[in-house]
Amino acid sequence: MLVVLLAVVFAAVRLLPGDAASATSERGEGAAGVAARRHLLGLDRPVWEQFADWMTALPSGDLGTSARGERVDDLLAAPFPNTLLLGGTAFLLTVAAALALGCWASLRPGGAVDRLVTLTSTAAFALPEFVVSVGLLLVLSLWTDWLPAATVTGADGTPASWTMLVMPVLALTIPQTGWNALVVRAALADQAAAPHVEAAVLDGLPPARVLLRHALPGALPVMATGFATSTGMLLGGAVVVETLFNYPGTGTVLAGAVADRDTPVIAGVVACAGAAVSLVLLLADLIRARTTGARP
Amino acid sequence: MNLNRRQLLWAGGGMGVAALLTACGGDKESATSPAGDGGEPRRGGTLRVGALGRASAITRDPHGTQGNESDYLIISLVHDTLAAPGAKSNTVPRLASGWTSSPDLTTWRLTLAKGAAFHDGTPVTAADVVWSLRRLRRTPAGSARLPGIQEDNINADGEDAVVLVSDYPNAELPLLTRLTTFVLKKDTPDKEVAKAPGTGPFVLDWFRGGNARLVRNDRWHGGRVHLDAIEVTMFESPQAMTNALLSGQIDLASNAGAVAARTAAARKDLQVVRRPDDMAMPLVMRTDQGPFADPRVREAMKLVVDREAMVKQVLSGYGTVANDVLGTADPRYAKDIPQRTRDLERAGRLLKEAGFDFGRTYELVTTEDVPGLADSATLFAHQAREAGVKVEVVKQESGAFYEKTWLKGDFYTNYWGTNDSVVFFASKTMVTGAGQNEAQWSDKDFDAAYRKATAAADDTERATALHDLQKLEFERSGYLLWGMADGIDLAAAKVHGLPRLPGYGRVQLEGVWLSR
Repeated sequence: MLVVLLAVVFAAVRLLPGDAASATSERGEGAAGVAARRHLLGLDRPVWEQFADWMTALPSGDLGTSARGERVDDLLAAPFPNTLLLGGTAFLLTVAAALALGCWASLRPGGAVDRLVTLTSTAAFALPEFVVSVGLLLVLSLWTDWLPAATVTGADGTPASWTMLVMPVLALTIPQTGWNALVVRAALADQAAAPHVEAAVLDGLPPARVLLRHALPGALPVMATGFATSTGMLLGGAVVVETLFNYPGTGTVLAGAVADRDTPVIAGVVACAGAAVSLVLLLADLIRARTTGARP
Repeated sequence: MNLNRRQLLWAGGGMGVAALLTACGGDKESATSPAGDGGEPRRGGTLRVGALGRASAITRDPHGTQGNESDYLIISLVHDTLAAPGAKSNTVPRLASGWTSSPDLTTWRLTLAKGAAFHDGTPVTAADVVWSLRRLRRTPAGSARLPGIQEDNINADGEDAVVLVSDYPNAELPLLTRLTTFVLKKDTPDKEVAKAPGTGPFVLDWFRGGNARLVRNDRWHGGRVHLDAIEVTMFESPQAMTNALLSGQIDLASNAGAVAARTAAARKDLQVVRRPDDMAMPLVMRTDQGPFADPRVREAMKLVVDREAMVKQVLSGYGTVANDVLGTADPRYAKDIPQRTRDLERAGRLLKEAGFDFGRTYELVTTEDVPGLADSATLFAHQAREAGVKVEVVKQESGAFYEKTWLKGDFYTNYWGTNDSVVFFASKTMVTGAGQNEAQWSDKDFDAAYRKATAAADDTERATALHDLQKLEFERSGYLLWGMADGIDLAAAKVHGLPRLPGYGRVQLEGVWLSR
C-alpha cells in the first residue's frame, strides 16, 4: 500500500509544471547550469528509474538527497520526532476529551448536556485548524501574553519549552475532538438500543455503570475506527498548524518540498507519515478484532 | 535560467549576493546605521534573530544554492566574502583588502586582508581563496556567479594575492566577488563543508534544523564585534516571525515585510528599520513580438501607471516611486532623468499612433511569490482601464509561471531582490542575448553603451556611458518599473547598529550591539 502511495507521489511530482532543477536554480543561472543541475539530481532519467533507485535504498534507511544537496534523513531527523510528539499529544488529548464528552452527553440522551455537547462538537469540527490557531494566538499570546507565540528550538532541535507545545496541540485537538465526540456519542446511542444494554437498564443498574460496563465495550470498535481516521487528519492539520506556530515538524518540510518539486524530500515525509498512520490503523484493527472477537 | 522563486529574494545568485560588512580594515564607509543612534556601542549580549527559511530547503554548503535567508545569514556571519556591498560605492573590501587591474581591464589582482585567519587560527592564504573560488566556479550556477572567469584563470600570486583573468574587459569585476565568494580552507572535503571553519566575525556553535547559535570571533580581521553571540531561529512565515517578535521571543525579525511593519508601527517598544531600494517589482513587456513590440505602446503603458498610487496601495507606503530604470540603489543611478508621471492624454495619443487595438483584452500574468506582486498587477489593470486599455490579470502558480511565462510571455510581473547595480541588470536582463533577457530586448545603441561602460578604463568615460545606458533603458526598454519596495526589518528598541543597505546588506550584523 505504502509502495503504491510512494509511486503515486513520484508520478504526481513529475506531472507538476517545473522541476527541482529549475526550482532550486539561481537567478542568473543559464540553461546550461540548469541542465547540469538536472543531470546532477538525476532528473534526466525516467521517473520509474528514480523511483526504483529511491525504493531500493529505503530499506537501509537512506531517504536520498534533497535538491539542495542535504541528506533527507538529516532534514527529517529533528522534525519527525517533533511531529510525532505534537500529533501524539494531540491524539491522546483528543481521545480523552472525546470519550469524556461523548459519555457525558450520552448519560442523558436529549438532555441539556447532550444538546450542548453535540452543538459545540459540530461547531468545533467545522472550524478549520487555522481559524482555531489564529484565535488561540490572539487570545492566549498577543492579548494576554500567557504563552509564547512561536516555537523556538534549542541545540537539540526540540522546542525550547513545553509551553510552546500548548497552542499547537490545542489547535489540532479542538477540531478533532469535535469530530470524535460525535462519533463516540453516536456509537453509544447505537449501543443503548442493544438488547444487553436495555436489559442492564431494566435491571435498575446505575446509568454510569451501564455506560462503562455494558455500552462502552460494545461501542469500542466503532470508536477505534473513528480515532484512527483522526490520525490522518491530525497529520494533515499539522502542516497548517506547524507553519502558523513555527513548530519545527515535518509539515513545514512537506510544504516547502512541494514548492521545490523536491521528490526525495516529499517521498521521505510521506513514507514517515504513511508508516505512522498505518501503525495506528493497524492498532485500531487489532482492537476491533479483539473486542468483536470477545463478543461473538 | 530560473529565478529562485520566492527564495530568489535572498538567493540572488547571478552575483548580487554577498553580504557582510564594510567596516573592513577601518574603512569608514559604514553600511550600518550610525553608532550615534544609541550612544557608545556596548559589548556583550546575545542577539536573537528571526530569519525566513523552509526546512526542506536547508543548505549548509556556502557554495550551494541558498534558498533560505536563515542559511544565508548564518553562512555570511561565519564565512567572509572577498568584497561586500557598500553605501557610497557598489563594492567595498572585505576579505580582499583591495584590488588593481591591468589597463585592458581583463586581469585583476586582489590582495587579501592582513591578519585574516580561520576560526581555528590558521592564516588565510591565496591558495585557500583560489581553491574556494574554483569550487564555486564548478557548481552548476558557477558560470552565473563568476561570469567570464574560467576555472583555470583563477590563480594565486604569492601568499596573499589572487589573480583573476576575465574573458573580456570588465571594469566591474570586483562586483562579482560580492557574490557568494565564501572562503573555506583548501581541500575541505564536501562532507565537512557544513562545519568547516570560516574567517567571519562569528564562529558556529551549533546548527540544528535550520536554527543555529553563533559566538563572537575575537580575532576577526575586520574589526571589533560587539555581541557575545547571535541565535538564529528559522521561520516559515513572516506572520509567525512577527508574532515571536511581538511576544518578545526574538529581538530582530529580518525582512519581515510591510504587513508586519504596520502591526509593529503602533508599538513603542519596537523599531521599524526601512532599507530603501530593496526590491524591484517591474512589469515586463515583450519587445520583439506581440502587442508591446511597438516602443510607443511600451511608453504609453509607462505613462498609464499611477506610480504614487502603486507605492501607497501595493507597498502600504513602504517604498519609493521609480523611473523605469533598474538598479536604483547604484551610486551611479541617473537621478537627473526626469521622473515619468501619469499622462493619460499623451498615452492615448501614442497608442492611437501605434494603431493599438483597444478592442482586445490583454493578459497580465502574475504570481504570488512575493507579497504585493499580484496586487500590483490588479491595481495596474484598474489604472489601465482608465486609459481605455483592457487588462485581465492571470495568476499562475510559481512553477507554472517559470516554465510557461517567464522569458516568454508578452506581459507579466516579475521581481528582483538583488538590487545590485545598473550594470548588473544591464548585463543580466537587457543586453542582446543576455540569459535572462526577460523582455527579449535587443537594442544596438544600448548594447554599444553597455560595452563602453564595462570596457572603459577612464572613470569619466565610464560614467558617461553608464548615463547613456540608463537614458536608453528609460526610453525604450521593456521594463515598467513603477516603484521600489523597502526592505523592512523589525527590532526591539534595545538593538542598535542595524544594517541599512538593501538586499544582502541585511545580513551585515557584525556591527550590531545591545543597550542595557
